Amino acid sequence: MSTLQPGLQRRIGGATWATFIIAALFVWSMWAIGFSPERLGKLPAQMAEVLGFFWPVNMAYGWDRVLPAIIESIQIAWIGTIIAAVLSLPLALFGARTLFPKLARGVKLISATARAFPEILLAIYFVPIVGLGAFAGALAIGISSIGMLTKLGAEVVDSIDYGPVEAVEAAGGSRVLALRYAVLPQVLPEIIAHWLFRFELNIRASAVLGVVGAGGVGGVLLNTLRYRHFDKAAAVLVLTILIVLVIDLVSGEIRRRIIRG
Amino acid sequence: MAVSPVPDRPPRNWWLIGGVAAFLLAMTGWSAEGIGFSLIELMCNIGGGGRLLAESWPPDFAFLPRLAEPFMETLNIAIVGTVIGGILSLPVAVLAARNLTLGRIVWFADRNFMNVLRTLPDLFWAMLFATAVGFGPVAGALALSVFTIAVISKLWSESLESIDMGLPEAVRAAGGTWLEMLKFGAVPQAMQHYVSYALYAFELNVRASMVLGLVGAGGIGMILETQRANFEYERVAMIILVVLVAVLIIEEISEAIRRRLT
Repeated sequence: MSTLQPGLQRRIGGATWATFIIAALFVWSMWAIGFSPERLGKLPAQMAEVLGFFWPVNMAYGWDRVLPAIIESIQIAWIGTIIAAVLSLPLALFGARTLFPKLARGVKLISATARAFPEILLAIYFVPIVGLGAFAGALAIGISSIGMLTKLGAEVVDSIDYGPVEAVEAAGGSRVLALRYAVLPQVLPEIIAHWLFRFELNIRASAVLGVVGAGGVGGVLLNTLRYRHFDKAAAVLVLTILIVLVIDLVSGEIRRRIIRG
Repeated sequence: MAVSPVPDRPPRNWWLIGGVAAFLLAMTGWSAEGIGFSLIELMCNIGGGGRLLAESWPPDFAFLPRLAEPFMETLNIAIVGTVIGGILSLPVAVLAARNLTLGRIVWFADRNFMNVLRTLPDLFWAMLFATAVGFGPVAGALALSVFTIAVISKLWSESLESIDMGLPEAVRAAGGTWLEMLKFGAVPQAMQHYVSYALYAFELNVRASMVLGLVGAGGIGMILETQRANFEYERVAMIILVVLVAVLIIEEISEAIRRRLT
């Protein structure tokens, strides 16, 4: 009993300290952004009032204007994902520590930097370069997805069974042949599943890009809210939720099947 | 009997492969057409991109002191959003875990609630809350709270579903209530995962809070928006540099904590 006590006490102590620090940071942050309890109390009434404006949903506007914008968002996400998939596959192979120990570190650095950029910041740069519109959005999504896909892909490659690689090389095959016949068949199912998952994320990301003029449904929502056309904003929300739910469902099912093989 | 030196390849389903390939090509062609994708345009405009980058360099370091306050506000938004969302995600996750929930109807309703929350991106929530409670950091914090619920509850409900049910069942068998079962049997098993996901959500929130200002929800993004509108690209570059460094540092810290936890 007494041998257990000190270790146990230390762990409980650590958790208590962490809770205390988080609580202190939280209170300080609430104070700093002016989120008073008074304001919190008024919140439900405010939300209810605004939600009331959203009814009835203007579905005519939804079919006419929102649906094409959502389709554009999907197209942006698709092209972005394709760009990222094509570029990240070789990077993922080179980023694997087990295969290319020297290159891997450089690739990891690139992918970490690419991941740190929110795609909307990239879009801010692409919009002046290729002009307002969906093309800028697709490039921004593509570039920013490379980071995550490279990282996840490299982790998959790192975790493969090394036997087949050695077998190919022992039989006189080159590095390239080993990649083609020993590495790719092992990693592709999981990597494709990651691509699909990234596509799901990219749909949300591309929906937002309209805010900086890079196409898609985000600009529509921003404008309807700005001009207080709440019935139209409601149409944006309803359609976005429905379509994203369906895509998530389909993509999730495909991912499960690919992984199961 | 001649033995073939190579084992036969398993037969391939050419219909399936052809169908998938055709679908992928069609989808890509249709999308490229829809968004006006053109390599020629990209090549022609790459010079403009170079000019833009040249304009952004060097970043305006004199601008740095004026970023301190909005930067802190950004962190405050992320902290408030993570804590509120982290607390609210506890019941959402528990009720969405098949093995712990209170009956099929509750499970079904909560699961769908969670999926609907997940469909909308962070900036959509920010726009909605900015409309509801007015422009400013409070709207941003509320938006990130909702976003955090979506992230943590999805991941954590899956961890909860994979715990060892022996302990919770033992608590129940000893006459414990549902809450006692959670407190002593279920949650402690998945607590490490919870902390890890909360840290992950915090990373996402820091990144998201940097751009919330683009829709008027407070933080460093507000400054970014005004500088962008004035084409002050040296200042834009400075802001992006600050964001990048901050995100990388916070990711490093959070990853170090997560490694020590597991």
